[in-house]
Order: sequence, then C-alpha cells, then structure tokens
Amino acid sequence: MVRLFFSLRTGARPWLIAGSTVQITSMVLLGCLCLNSFESQSTRAAEPATANGQSSGGEESPVDFNSQIRPILVANCTSCHGGVKQAGDVSFIYPEQVLPPDGWIVEPGDPEASILIERITTDDADIRMPPPDEHPDPLSPEDIELLRRWIAEGAQWQSMWALTPLGLASSPAELKTKHSAESKWGTQPLDQIVLASLQAKNLTPSEEAPAEQWLRRASFDLIGMPPSEDQLTEFLSKLESVSLTSEKEAVYAAEVDMMLAESHFGERWASVWMDLARYADSMGFEKDPHRDMWPYRDWLIQAFNADMPYDEFTIKQLAGDLLEDATAGDWIATAFHRNTQTNTEGGTDDEEFRIAALIDRVNTTWTVWQASTFGCVQCHSHPYDPIEHDEYYASLAMFNDTMDVDLPDEYPTIRVPNDRSQLEHAIDVQRRAEELRHQRNAVGWNVAHAANWQSLTPASFKTTDGKLKQVDNQIVTDGGTFPPGTKYTVELDLEDLQTQLGEQPLSAMKLDILPLSDDPAQWPEQGSVLSELTAEWIDAEGNATPVAWAGVIADAITGSTDPDDALRGNASGAGEYPKLTGPRQTVFVMRDPSSWESLNEKSIKTLRLTMRQSHSTTGNLATPIRRLEWFATTEVEANQLLESDQWKQLTDSLAQARKEASQVKGPKLPIVFNRPAEAARETRVFVRGNWMERGEKVDPAIPVAFTQGTSVRPSDVNSRLELAQWLVSNDNPLTPRVWANRVWAQLFGIGLVETQEDFGSSGLQPTHPQLLDHLALRLRDEHRWHLKPFLRELVLSSTYRQTHHVSEELQQADPRNQWLARGPRTRLTAEMVRDQALAVSGLLTEQIGGPSVMPPQPNGVWQTVYSGASWKTATGPERYRRALYTYWRRTSPYPSFLTFDSPTRDLCAPRRIATNTPLQALVTLNDPVYAECGKALVEQTATDETQGTSTPIESQIARMFLLVTQSQPTEWELHELKALYDDLDETSGVPQDDGKLNVDQNALAIVASTILNLDKALTK
Amino acid sequence: MNPLNDSVRLGSLQWQTRRHFLQNCSLGLAGMWLGSQANSVHGEAAKPGDAAPMLAPHFPPKAKRVIFLHMAGGPSQLELFDYKPDLQQLDGKDTPASFLEGKRFAFIQGVPKMLGPQFPFAQHGESGAWVSDRLPHFQSVVDKVCFVKSMHTTQFNHAPAQLLLHTGSQNLGSASFGAWTMYGLGSENQNLPGFVVLVSGGKTPSAGKSVWGSGFLPSVHQGVQCRSKGDPVLYLSNPEGVSRIQRRRALDTLAKLNRETFEQTGDAEVLTRISQYEMAFRMQTSATEAFDLSQETADVHAMYGTKPGEESFANNCLLARRLAERDVRFIQLFHWGWDSHGAGANEAINKGFHDRCREVDQPMTALLKDLDQRGLLEDTLVVWGGEFGRTPMRENRGGREMKLIGRDHNPGAFTMWFAGGGIKPGVSIGHTDDIGYEAVENKVSPHDLHATLQHLLGIDHHKLTYMSQGLPQRLSNVTQPSRIVTDMFA
Repeated sequence: MVRLFFSLRTGARPWLIAGSTVQITSMVLLGCLCLNSFESQSTRAAEPATANGQSSGGEESPVDFNSQIRPILVANCTSCHGGVKQAGDVSFIYPEQVLPPDGWIVEPGDPEASILIERITTDDADIRMPPPDEHPDPLSPEDIELLRRWIAEGAQWQSMWALTPLGLASSPAELKTKHSAESKWGTQPLDQIVLASLQAKNLTPSEEAPAEQWLRRASFDLIGMPPSEDQLTEFLSKLESVSLTSEKEAVYAAEVDMMLAESHFGERWASVWMDLARYADSMGFEKDPHRDMWPYRDWLIQAFNADMPYDEFTIKQLAGDLLEDATAGDWIATAFHRNTQTNTEGGTDDEEFRIAALIDRVNTTWTVWQASTFGCVQCHSHPYDPIEHDEYYASLAMFNDTMDVDLPDEYPTIRVPNDRSQLEHAIDVQRRAEELRHQRNAVGWNVAHAANWQSLTPASFKTTDGKLKQVDNQIVTDGGTFPPGTKYTVELDLEDLQTQLGEQPLSAMKLDILPLSDDPAQWPEQGSVLSELTAEWIDAEGNATPVAWAGVIADAITGSTDPDDALRGNASGAGEYPKLTGPRQTVFVMRDPSSWESLNEKSIKTLRLTMRQSHSTTGNLATPIRRLEWFATTEVEANQLLESDQWKQLTDSLAQARKEASQVKGPKLPIVFNRPAEAARETRVFVRGNWMERGEKVDPAIPVAFTQGTSVRPSDVNSRLELAQWLVSNDNPLTPRVWANRVWAQLFGIGLVETQEDFGSSGLQPTHPQLLDHLALRLRDEHRWHLKPFLRELVLSSTYRQTHHVSEELQQADPRNQWLARGPRTRLTAEMVRDQALAVSGLLTEQIGGPSVMPPQPNGVWQTVYSGASWKTATGPERYRRALYTYWRRTSPYPSFLTFDSPTRDLCAPRRIATNTPLQALVTLNDPVYAECGKALVEQTATDETQGTSTPIESQIARMFLLVTQSQPTEWELHELKALYDDLDETSGVPQDDGKLNVDQNALAIVASTILNLDKALTK
Repeated sequence: MNPLNDSVRLGSLQWQTRRHFLQNCSLGLAGMWLGSQANSVHGEAAKPGDAAPMLAPHFPPKAKRVIFLHMAGGPSQLELFDYKPDLQQLDGKDTPASFLEGKRFAFIQGVPKMLGPQFPFAQHGESGAWVSDRLPHFQSVVDKVCFVKSMHTTQFNHAPAQLLLHTGSQNLGSASFGAWTMYGLGSENQNLPGFVVLVSGGKTPSAGKSVWGSGFLPSVHQGVQCRSKGDPVLYLSNPEGVSRIQRRRALDTLAKLNRETFEQTGDAEVLTRISQYEMAFRMQTSATEAFDLSQETADVHAMYGTKPGEESFANNCLLARRLAERDVRFIQLFHWGWDSHGAGANEAINKGFHDRCREVDQPMTALLKDLDQRGLLEDTLVVWGGEFGRTPMRENRGGREMKLIGRDHNPGAFTMWFAGGGIKPGVSIGHTDDIGYEAVENKVSPHDLHATLQHLLGIDHHKLTYMSQGLPQRLSNVTQPSRIVTDMFA
C-alpha cells in the first residue's frame, strides 16, 4: 500500500483534515514500479562531494535550492510525488505544484504555515511523510531545519543547476571566500578557485610535483603514452638550465605544446570519444558480422589532431549530411550514429531493431552532450527531472527519418577510398550518384503523379500460393501462405478498359501497394515487394504479346534498390522492404502506347499482369503484397518525359556517376542520411515505451525544460541539424559543462560532477560549481571550443601540477582527491596499459589509422554462433599497434581490455570506473603480449653500452626502470631488483673467457616483467 | 541503500575498514574483489581472508549459490516435458487461423502444419512427472525437481530472448543475473572468481558474452569465462620460462617495491594492488586445482560420462560441482545447439535433437545426484532451461515444407526446471494450453523468475538496485511489475 502525501485539496486554501489519508493499492497507482526501490536516504554525494552546504559555523549563507533542498526532495519525496507518480496530484518536480498561487504545499516566508513542514514533523503516524510503514525514520532534523530555513528565506525555487546559465551557479560559500585568497599560488585562473575552496576547508595545496612525475602524468593525459627516454632527458636538462620562474614556465609550456602537436594526441582523445560513440568493428547481436567502421575512428583521430572545435565536431557527427556542401569528412562523421547495432539474426523484426537503434541514438545524443538521463522518459515522464513522456518522442522524431532500416547491407553506406588523396572526389561521385538517383525519380514522379489515374476493376485474378479476394477494386490477401516466389496474375478486360479510359490509348499504369490496415498508427507493416511485373496483351486464341515499358517511377526512393528493378527480374522492385511504411505508388510508363484500334485489330481481349514476388528478408521471410490496386491513365506527359532529352541527360549522368562511384575501392562505411520528404516517417508516442503500441503523433521539438530562460522555443529545434546547432549554441549551458567535466575527469580521475553521465536531479552535484562554470566558459568562449588550448591550461595549472603524495590525514579526509589538495594519481586505462608496454619495449608500431588489427589473444575466445569470422592473429608490425586499433567485436571484445575496465561498447559508455583486481594482475603478468614486451624491454636496454653504475646488469635494470616509470630507481629499489635478478640467475656468475659476464636473459625478462607490473608502472 | 551513491561507495569502499564496511553497508556495495584493501590503509598488509567480502543478504537465504544450466537455442518443451496428447490429434493439419493472428514468427510463414509430439512420453517417479523417452537418465531424478511449464517471454529471437532471460532486458547493456548476484552478495571464495561461466556445444550463446556481462554494473562483477581446455581462467599460466618459484620470488620483490611506493605516496590503492597480486598468485593454484578433473574417481567419471580434456557439457557439469564445493557463488553453463528448426541435420528434431538430449541427459542427472549425495543440493539452486520454447507447428521456412522436422521459436511457452536451494521438489507449476502453444495458468515471465530466484538468494529484488540511465535499475526490470512465484518454494 502506498499512502499519499496529500490526499485532499479543499478549495483554494487547502487544509488537511486529520485522518483523511486515502489508501489505494500500489497497483492502481503505479503501472510502473520503477520507483519502489528508491530508498529514502540522502541523494547528495558522499561527504567530499558536498562542496556546498558545508556546515560552517558563524554566519549562515542563504539556503541554496539546487544544492541543498532539491536533493532532499529527490531522496525523500519524488519517488511518490514526482514525474511518473504524482500521488495526491502532488509533484515536487514542478514549482507550480508546490508554490502559490497554484501550489499549496509551501507558504514562502512562513514555515509553520506550510503543509510540507507540518507533514514531515508531525508525530501522527497516519499523516507523517514519508509514510512510517515504509520509511521508519523521519527526515533528519538537519534536513527539516534546512527546509524550514529555505521556506523562511522565501522558498526560492531554481531550475536544475545544470540548466542555469553559465557563471551564475557558484555557491555562496565559494564567492565569499574568493576574496580572501591572496596567495601567490596558482598559474591559471582556475587555481584561484581551487585555492579558495581549499582555504574554506583550512587546507593548503600540496607542493609541486617533481618534473618527471608531472611529465609522466601529462604525457599519458595528452597522448596516452609515457614520455620517451629522450624526451624526459631533454625536459629535465632544460629545466636545469633555467633559473627564473618564468623561464621554467616556458619550458613546461613548450613541453605541453610539443605533446599537443604529436599525432598520438588524436589517438588518445579518439579513444575517449570511442566509448561515447560506442565504436566497434562489428554490427552486434547474434552473428555480429564485420562492419567497416574504422574510417570513422580515423576521422576522430584527425579531428582531434586538427583541434577541430567542439561545435563543429558536434554538428558534423550529428548532422554532417544536412550541411550545405558537405565535405567528405562531414559524411564520414555521420557514422557516429551508425555505431548502433544491426541485428542480422534470421527471422528478426527489422523494425524492432531499427527502433532500438533509433532509441539508442536519442539516448546517446542526450547522454553525450547533455548528460541527461533521457532514456527513462521513453516509458514515462522523467521521475525526477521536468521532462514529459511525449517530449522524448518529439526528440526521437528528429532522428526518425534516416534511411537505415536494420538490413544486413547496412545501406546507406559510402566507400572511403583507399587512396586518401582521392577522398573528396571519391565521396563526391558516390554522393552524386545517390542524389541523381533520387533526383531523376523525383523529376519523373512530379510529372507522373499529376496524371488523371483511373482505378481499374480486375476481370479476374489468381495466385500460385495462398488465397486472394476482391474488395471494391482492391485485391487483398485472404489467408494461406505466400512464400517467396508467389505470383499473382491479374487480368483486365480490354473492353472495360476502353470504356473507362475513352478514346486515347492506355499510356501508363500505376500500382498502389497498400498496408492491410488503414490506420497509420498500425504502420509499418511487413514489407511488400513486386519483384517483377510482366504485362501482356492476350488475344482471343490466348496468344500473348508483351507490353514494352519505357520505365518505372516510384513515389520516392527509400532504399538501395531502384524502381526499374521491377522490370529486371531480380528480387527487388516496387514497394518497400523490410517494412511497408505506408501506401506506396509505382508508375509503369509504356513505350509506344497501342491504340485501341490496333489492339482490336489483333483481337486482343485482355491485359494480363503477372506480378512475381520473389523478395525475402533475413530468414527467407517473404514480403508479399497484401493489398493492391491498379490504376491506368491515357495522359502522355510521363511518356514524353521519358523520351525527352532532359530524361536522357539525367539517365546518362546517373549512369556515369554510378560507373565512377563503382570504381571507388575501399571500406564501406555506414553513414546517415534522411529519406526523401515524400516518404517521411511519422513519429508516434510509444505507449509505455512499447514500440508496438503507438499512440499520438508528435512533431519534432526539444523538451521545454531545456529552453527555460532562453528565447528558444521547443519547436524551433526540429531537425538533427537544428538540434546539433542548438546543443553548441550559447543557449545551451549544459554542453560546455558536460564536455569540460569529461575532460577534467580524464585528467583528474573523477569529474567535478562525478556522475559524468547524469547532470540531472538523480546525479551528483558538482564539487566545485564555480570551477565547473569557469572551465565551461573558458572552453567555449575563451578557447572557442578548441580542446588543445583548454588542455594546455589544465595541465599547466598548479592544481594539476601538485605532487600526488598524500598525507595520512588528507588521505582520510579526502580519499578520492575531490578537494584537489594534491595531484591526481590514477590507474592507467586499458589502452594505456597496452600502449605503455609497447612503447617502452620499443615494439610499438607508430602508424596512425587504418583497418583494425588482431594482436594475440587466447585461442577460443571467439566462438560465435552462425558466423565464420575468426581471429587471425597479426604477425609483423600489425601485432604492435596501439590499443585503439585492436579489432573490437561487440560480442567478444578483447579480453584483457575488459579486464582493465573497458566497456563492451554495446551502448554509449559515459564513464569508466577503474577497478583493481587479481585478473588484472594475471593479464600484465601472464598475457603473452606482456611477456613479449618484457623480453623486448630487456633486448632494447641490452643493446646500449653500459655506463655509469657499478655493474652492467644494474645499469640495465635501472634503465628499464627509468623507461617504464620515468623515475630513477632509488638505491634500495635497484638493490632489490638486482637481488631478484641474482636469485633467478641460473648462469654460473663467473665471467666468460673474454671477461664478459654471462647474462641470464630469462631472469632479466622476469625483472622486466616485475618492473612493468610495478604500481608506479600501472598508474599515472 | 541509496542507489545514487553506488559509485561513490564503490570508490570510498577502498577506504573503509572491513568492520565499518560490514556495519554500515548492506546490499549493493561493490563486492567481489574490492574489500581486500580493507584494514590496510595505514597498517599491515591486507590479510588474505579479507579479500572479497561476503555481503549480507536482505533476509536469510535458502540458496547460497546458483548453477544455471542454459540450453541455448530454445529446447522443445513439446519433445521433453510438456506432454500434449491433443497436439498429436492435430498432427499434419493446417494451423487454424486463430493460432496465427497477431503472432510474430522468426521463420514460419502463412499457414504451417501442426506437428504432434515426436517422442513417446511416460510418467516417472512418485511425483508422476511426464518426461519423454529422450531423457532416460533424467527420469530417475524427477522427484528432486520443480518443473515450471508456464514460462513465457516477449522475445522470439535468440539474442534478445537470451538477454532478457539473463539480464532482464532484451537490449544489450544491462547486467546479468550472475553479475547482480556478485554485486549483491559478493564472493565466498577468495581464490577463485565468484562468477564462473562454462560454455560447451562449440559456440558461445547468440547474445555473446553480454549474457554474463556486468552491463552498467562495475566490470568487476562480470562473469569470468573459464575453459575446460587450455588455461581454465585466461592468462592463468605463467608465461613460458617462468616457474612458480620464480614467480613467487618476483612477486616478493614486487610487493616490497610497491610497499615502498605506498610509503612514498601514501596512496592506499597501492596496498590493494599488492593484495590483488597475491590473490592472483593463489588463484593460479586454486583455479588449476579446481579445474583438474583427473582428481575425480573413475566412478564419478562414469556417473557423469566425462572425459578429461574434452570441451563438453558433461565435463562442465562435473566442474560445476567442483566449483560449488569451493563456494563459487554463481556457476553458469551454456550448452549450444537446441535451435531445432529442421533447417539442418545438426539441429533437426529428428536428428541433432537426439544428440543434444544425449549430451545433457546423463551429466545433468549426475550433477543433481552428486550434489545431493554431497549435501550441496540443499543450498545450491540448480536452474535448467532455454530462452524460449518451440511452436506446436512444424516450421515451413520460406513457406515450403522442409525435408527435416523442426519447430520455430515460440515465446509463448517453454519449460524450465529447478532443484535444490529452497525449491519445492517433485512438483510441476503452471500449465500451457492443450497444444503447448501458450502458457495459460500460473504464467512465469523472465522477470518473475528473477524476482523469485533472487528471493531464494536472500535478495529483495526491489532493493537490489543500481543507478543507471536515470533509473534505479534492477534485474527484475523497472518498467513492469514482477512477482515472486511462491509456489516454487519448499
């Protein structure tokens, strides 16, 4: 049983009558039980995360709704009084339901007159909120006091913090302390904000990290790999040669600039984006076949290396196809949203998985750019944030018109030429061929559809399989099985035709392929395809004279096949597959229409139409025509058009473009573009998220909540392009906040908003709101969305440059370093673990881009159903490519990466949580890849002449240590490693005849492996 | 517990003492490997026993561990357990239109023919359970088993149906039953993965490794696919040229140096790493030992029909028992090949289906008997079943009669059976209609099953949640109500 917070509304001045609580069953109230488990404890972040609301003594700052009040409401109230469930018609999501004039729960300025306070403080178990039977503990005195103070201070409501304009979200506490910050600490403005918040906690920053510690950290963060030995040496010697602070800063800055200019930079940041883009080299689901997706990955690398501003980067990926004069790169970028899965399993409903991909695109877009948990609005209004159910579908409508339909050929695709110098031209000819195909048909359709079409009554009809019936002039299936290859034969009586059409000869025919249902909410239906039409004049003796056609024109082209296919004898043709989205029309234009006289002279009695339907979708599922109607006309405009020079020109250009397009050799990248406007899909609300139950039609728009405080109206944003432009416009404070936060999290291991994926009410609050806004503004306005200068600022900041050493007290007070009183020390990502091992051992193949590769993985990892794909272990340089080039099969990702917390990339993965497990130890100790690296590390350090230290072995160990960790081993560390070597050494230890010492390579390899497994090696 | 703070907790977990950890946190705290750092923040190194804490369930559990035998492809209920004499009467007749309206099939088109049961059935045991002649061994243990004849699902393709059954969602990205169990209960064995997956039949399931993945849960909770050939756990063996003694020696140095790093940095994560390396070292022996079937007697091998070194369902069943003995929490077996369309000899009901039955009959029977004899069945929940059932119609792929006999996917009805761990033995729950097409009485959905099985593990399915995509996600699905099938409880 669920008790309502407020059960009665007694007029304008509601007064609660004691004992009037109404009990209703949860089943009545809830169709959805989403929220039952939402237990009522604080939703605020764990202690270190609450930068706001510090209970500092003395003068109290005003209560902040977003950081102090909303979390109480979300934790305790909105599960029953929220978006899904609005028990007693009360929702704490919408201010108008809480505050006067319409709301009646809070009396601003008067806590004791506010029903909210009464109900949470009462001792009467029947009316106390939250209800004692399910929530034994009342709200804490602190929470109650906060609510009281908030009301007493006037009950100011705020939009969700993340939606407030940039710069205004700073907490009162921080603003107050800012001016007391007079220390000279800090190289960047951001440092002042960090310092202010540290001072508020009576903390001081840690001292600056040793140069090599900073260099290792910055190198991994910027390029994903450790600095080389030379780079380290040079950097340190440059530093030694300078004395002034400004000179030192210049050395640091130059080092950063050098790393930012490396092409490894693009690789490192592409791999971050690939988690968000759910990049994989396969299509997903059962067979999980190969997909040529890597040109998109290479586009990412280039985009990051070229420091493409984030606004451009966004628009190209979401709507590159809709840009005027789209470049090759713009087309390739649209593959972002083709990283959705295609289900090629036999017998699947392609619409189901088209929709799954569509929903994935919507959810991914809102997660990546807005950190909004939009997915739940698919089934019902948002439980905690003010987003309504139908607003989800209004957003979905912007994505619903793309051409892809879950077919194994993944149409639309584009070949990216192997010869990259031909890129622009090659993409251009393919696009031209595609556009001409549509354009030519559209020209034809404009003329053909305008004719006066007369519906025809069939004289007779029959089918090779199943049963047909006649309803008015329509022929409709009437039970039975219609396997691929089914043929309908429809006969039209010549006399009837002549009577109906009049004097002029029959010049063209039109076939309407119709859904069985007239209700658009029931569409789409299973596909319906006429593979081949044969028309014959039949004389009195039964002799047949074929009708010659000049061409076929469709209402719109909605797939890879052409209307003319209906005359060619292949399986495709008129109609639509895998789904019939609505009524579809196809016009067959006659060559040399025969006059009635000439037909009569030949004693023609009948026009016989044979309609073969050989097409099938995956699983040999037939696509029979279930309802059809034939029309005829005597108008000759279409016939004239098809004879015209214009048509010939169009046809020739198309043939030429196709020929050129077919000569492009290279990977076939799935891309996005829209269906023609004539065949636009309707978007309807899925009732309770069920795609088979379609409700009201909706028009594209963005949710109202995201437009508040701006001049944007929700329906202003109604296409993918507008959506993309709005996301990166100054009307959208979330985009820069979310991206700045992600970048920060990559460097510091934890975001300023820890829930990088959720900036809404169910996510965590920012630890440093002012810092977040500062960074967002720097990124967007100062750096004009360029990542490189933004990163430069971050890695050169004093905050980042602190040492990662931590005192016991600080460790306990702030275990996860959210206060930033020390430098970040975080585990390497899966990619970095591999890349480091390859780089320091000298094995790394430095090639940028290209097809994905298959480095060694254990046998038997790939065993996939109904698929012949196999892992062909690379030999030669391909074996040693950086991690991001490793072939990513969705159903069986590279096992050692998964062990190091790579997501499977089935869906957009907005955050990796680093773990620390024994399976990771097994990888870096035992995976032959790392064993190979260990040996190579030995070889590469052995080749050099030894110098300096006491013995060659020690010197080699020291060098390996330096290569891997960028720090010199201490004497003790070196001693321990040498002792390890000595213990493992199976040589005699006696010098050879020539005086050289025997070296046990195997023992050294174990030492190398030990170094590669050091905690220092696995962290940055 | 508060789902919002899971990730916070996951991190802050590293800093809590074990005592504090167990006092303050109930379910939902990250489990498996993460407790090891425990009392080591500023003291001595973690003790082996501290690794991978067992977390407290919501209420006393009936089952401590699960052995889930998944029959990938969807075995025919009509040829094994769901006896339908009426269907025999309809054999060869056109399917009535009422059976076809509003249905979606994978391969059947138009009007297929009905297909009667292909094998003789008889009643067995005191419970009088109906079992076909394909499972002669299994007939002897029916009194240990609870059949649920009224399973149904919404998905009629393999990958989505397997995902729904194992992760609660037909789409990729959700956490598997085993991962949820690890997340909720943690591991009882410090030296083996707590969630072990064994695959036979030459193929992984259609939905790939996602059916044992961790989805939105932290990746530590994912199932670890172990193998009966090669290293049982990936990368378990030392590389060539490294002996166990040498490894030990190297790890000693590694631990010393890492401890020094801790002294230098104060970063307690270093101590965790030291203990994880130690656990990895122990796992090398314990996993190797656990997977060594040669330790079993000839009698046991005869009972299961096992041949050491083979990749077979029989070997995996015996391994499952060995892992259960070692308190591995969740043991999941996948056996591929039940997709009896009649499109090929290896799967047709009148061909390959015989082999599938033979492959599983003896080992699964032996597993039940063996667990029982060793007193393990009491607190081990054994689950058997596929992702959906098969149609009472004969498949007519491409709209034509096929040479071999097969049935299409049927989400409307399938049979699963359960034993041990709080399950009522010797009963049959639910009914399908007269032709075994639709579950009609006491219907059980995958989500009902999740709620029910979690209950046996001591988990309240409403309370074990994790915040993802803005919702407190749970195995039993947040969007639809699910019920606990108490009829299944002893």
